[in-house]
Amino acid sequence: MRDRDLNRILYVEDDADIRKIVCMSLEMIGDYTVAACGSCADALQVVDDFDPDLLLLDVMMPDVDGPSTLRKLRRRETAADAPAVFITAKVQAGDMEHYGRLGVVDVIVKPFDPMTLSERIDHIWQRYRNDGHVHTG
Amino acid sequence: MSTPDEIVAKELTRLSANFLEHLPQELRAVEDEVTAWLDAPQNTRRFEILSHRVHQLKGSGSTFGCPGISRAARMLEQRMGDLRREIDAGQRPATTDVESAMAQLQNEGRRAQTRLRRQEGGK
Repeated sequence: MRDRDLNRILYVEDDADIRKIVCMSLEMIGDYTVAACGSCADALQVVDDFDPDLLLLDVMMPDVDGPSTLRKLRRRETAADAPAVFITAKVQAGDMEHYGRLGVVDVIVKPFDPMTLSERIDHIWQRYRNDGHVHTG
Repeated sequence: MSTPDEIVAKELTRLSANFLEHLPQELRAVEDEVTAWLDAPQNTRRFEILSHRVHQLKGSGSTFGCPGISRAARMLEQRMGDLRREIDAGQRPATTDVESAMAQLQNEGRRAQTRLRRQEGGK
């Protein structure tokens, strides 16, 4: 998996406006292919056909939150080993250790600048490819 | 022809304007939900729905050019969490901190609207 280039990002976020600007940013500025989903159920519907290189998930979503969505995606072969990045407004002590066990390689803290998000994702991917370490800072 | 950066920046401007336009309506809805929750603070489902709404405001405020809304929403979220813990601990809940955080959020909303009107007037 780590030899792959980053092309396809499966993105799950319930806020429609945030989803739209992030999707545009990743596709137009980062030149990535993005499957944007509004819920865990949407993500589970598209993940097998989409075969993502990276999972990008909002943490706090109604009904099924980011960590639970990731656990469900991990049961699918296409997302079993894909590195994941969480987007959250709140990182509490101990969260990173828990997230690391789920295969989360980094956390992007809200608010973030949509204009520089692709650069950030690229940086995370390069670091993942180079050493696979979970970012704990 | 516009560059990708310019197209995304233009969409960000449009979504920011849209956020501001709908902000008074959203804050009224949040205030109504706060009032309803404070009437029955043991209602866990109502608390969860309200928490999610406030959390979204916290996340989207700064992204769409209103950092004051994010800060006030963060404060309201904290105060709601404090109140929830008091209830869970069997204490008699004091609602004034939540009410004052809600009032602060409304103040930030009015500030944002004033700034928008000034910007429109300056065009």
